[in-house]
Amino acid sequence: MGLMTDRLPGLVERIPGGQILVTSIDAVLNWSRSNSLWPLAFGTKCCAIEMLMATGAAHQDLSRFGAEVARQSPRQADMMVVAGAIVKKMAPRMRMLYEQMAEPRYVIATGSCAISGGPFMYNSYSIVRGVDEVVPVDVYVPGCPPRPEAFFWGLMMLQKMIKQGESIARPGLRRKPVLAALPQGIAMEDIREEIRGLLEADNVIDVEKEAHNKVWADKVKVWMAKHLYKP
Amino acid sequence: MDGEALVQAVIGLGLGAEKREKADRPAVRVPADKLATAMKRLREDEALAFDMLLDHTAIDWLAAGTFELVYNLYSTVHGHYLMVAATVPRARPVVPTVSGLWDAAHWQEREVFDLFGVEYDGHPDLRRLFLEDDWQGFPLRKDYTDEDMLRLPK
Amino acid sequence: MSVQIKTLNDIVCPPDEARSPLSTQEYFVNMGPQHPIAHGSLRLVLRLDGETVRAVIPVPGFVHRGLEKMAESLNPRQIIHLTDRMDYLSALMNNWAVSRLVERAAGIATNDRIETIRTLMAELQRLQSHVLWWGVLGMDLGAFTAFLYGFREREIISRIFEDTIGARLTMNYIQPGGLMFDIHPDFVKKVKALLAYLRPIIEEYETLLSGNVILQERLRNVGILAPEKAVSLGCTGPVLRASGVPYDLRKLEPYGMYGKVEFDVVVGTVGDCWDRYYVRMEEMRQSMRIVEQLIDSIPEGPHMTTKFAARIKIPEGTYYGHLETARGVLGIFLVSDGKSDLPYRIHFRSPNFNNLWAITAIAPGWRIADIIAIQSSLDLVIPDIDR
Repeated sequence: MGLMTDRLPGLVERIPGGQILVTSIDAVLNWSRSNSLWPLAFGTKCCAIEMLMATGAAHQDLSRFGAEVARQSPRQADMMVVAGAIVKKMAPRMRMLYEQMAEPRYVIATGSCAISGGPFMYNSYSIVRGVDEVVPVDVYVPGCPPRPEAFFWGLMMLQKMIKQGESIARPGLRRKPVLAALPQGIAMEDIREEIRGLLEADNVIDVEKEAHNKVWADKVKVWMAKHLYKP
Repeated sequence: MDGEALVQAVIGLGLGAEKREKADRPAVRVPADKLATAMKRLREDEALAFDMLLDHTAIDWLAAGTFELVYNLYSTVHGHYLMVAATVPRARPVVPTVSGLWDAAHWQEREVFDLFGVEYDGHPDLRRLFLEDDWQGFPLRKDYTDEDMLRLPK
Repeated sequence: MSVQIKTLNDIVCPPDEARSPLSTQEYFVNMGPQHPIAHGSLRLVLRLDGETVRAVIPVPGFVHRGLEKMAESLNPRQIIHLTDRMDYLSALMNNWAVSRLVERAAGIATNDRIETIRTLMAELQRLQSHVLWWGVLGMDLGAFTAFLYGFREREIISRIFEDTIGARLTMNYIQPGGLMFDIHPDFVKKVKALLAYLRPIIEEYETLLSGNVILQERLRNVGILAPEKAVSLGCTGPVLRASGVPYDLRKLEPYGMYGKVEFDVVVGTVGDCWDRYYVRMEEMRQSMRIVEQLIDSIPEGPHMTTKFAARIKIPEGTYYGHLETARGVLGIFLVSDGKSDLPYRIHFRSPNFNNLWAITAIAPGWRIADIIAIQSSLDLVIPDIDR
């Protein structure tokens, strides 16, 4: 597309904070990971039509990003695109799906329902206000529903994060989640530097701590003990 | 049959029905204990022939201390509509079921049970529909409190 | 008087337990809330005997946001924004249902231009919804190409909507008293181009999928729904019409401009999946016919007859209004206590709710693969069931 031209792997990036992508193998691995993200088709509501179906279809083509192979089983997917509102009945199942995904795994929260509860934030007794209460999110894509182009912007941001992210020496260490809202009237070139700065700043998170969000992990254990019958 | 004639015909059946005021379509009110016989009659009578239950829901009149159960009926044979209302006290909301007459009532009644707590006597499978089986409380009641709910600030 | 309240675990339990309803050959399999043909998040518990389905127990509620409780603290204009998110593939028709009821209750008049544009938008949305349904049906039965073709046409209609309305999916356009915006200057030209483009495309769809022997084998005489059963279940829309009952609100109680255009009500004979498929294909042609009759003669006039900021006072009483969306009859039951502009109670009679339960009547006796064909032909949108 020419919007965010990525430099080919092999260039060593010096990142403030002391981390360096030590080997070009890291760069190659991250490059190949980011260009073949297989989404888990987890769409509950309207965002599913736009984010999962319309982006996979002909006019806006998800396969040019390598993400066409939408898997139904979480064991085979590495990116969970949460498209739609999550309610309390669905949340333990979603957590179970997330835990079944193999590392490295990423989560894009698309749509305002997944970010904060959206239009149902007030006066709804069953909504979960934001999917980040259940799973750790990497990229937030706002909109109701976001345009497919906005989703691609978020996807490209995730790809950038992956390319500058994990390394063999310290796997599982990722960047702080990023809000991928494309500002109006600003050209790509203007904000490229800003995004680079955001991603390169010294703000890594400890995935061990965040991913095993204790509150929901406990709730899932209780739910699983109650609902899955033992043979 | 047109609206007023329909209401009079239903009242004339002698089922204890009376006109329900302030509705925008023909509406009658039936006592809750006579609901089963009244509905059966409405369905089987040839001039009325209400063979489709379009909608069944409940209204929580907190001030009056009652639930008003509303049944919207339609006849594909004659093309007329009727709204039937039955009132039950909030403290003990039990009504006979009409799921033997219309299959749609089977699940509409489960929905009203789930959200309001109205119990249907004789229902074959009275379970919660939308909420988890162990949810406490009935959300659509006016006095439902939930500390998890976020209220819209005025 | 005895009321027995059960839970799901009472019904779904392993065969070796004493109270189990299963014979020892049967077992329960979960088609859980996340699976390829969920059309949303719907859980189907199947009671299987080998591969034959003995019973289907749908467990909805995985997208239950409590819209009816929320709507008790929102005024009618805000409720329209919520109705978009119920059956989002007929969002404009949902908006129209609420607008029409509020206009009748509060005594707001509209003009011919508003009604013509509303009818045009509703029929374009019906086309868009059926085209998506066709693509998804192909995808569910294994023909992924159909999905790409369907979405190609859907994108064109989405762009026409986007020019005028600004949104592709959740429209929030038809308001009590008129329309949010006036139509785009290019609207008429683009719709005419769309009609010229779409007619041969629908014929291409027939060649691609309808004449395909595999589709015929999977849909013909599969999942027959008798007309009396369909009426008793409260099914409406193409599901009911395919079973032979000519119940179409556009003809029976004309609203908008439907009384002034000519179109046919498409009715099936057998009530199997093929009838439900073909009724929708033919409805696409009828929708194009309606759009063709209206597009050249949109009357002049304002696009809004009341001010946006005006509060809409609804007199005390109960009101019920309904119209025909792409999936069936959407009814709005509104109770107002006359004290404020917020409704006391609002209930949405959603078409997909009744159409879902038809699967419990149709499915027993068929195989698992037939369940998929049946569910695709019922054309369910799950958030509409759960509200």
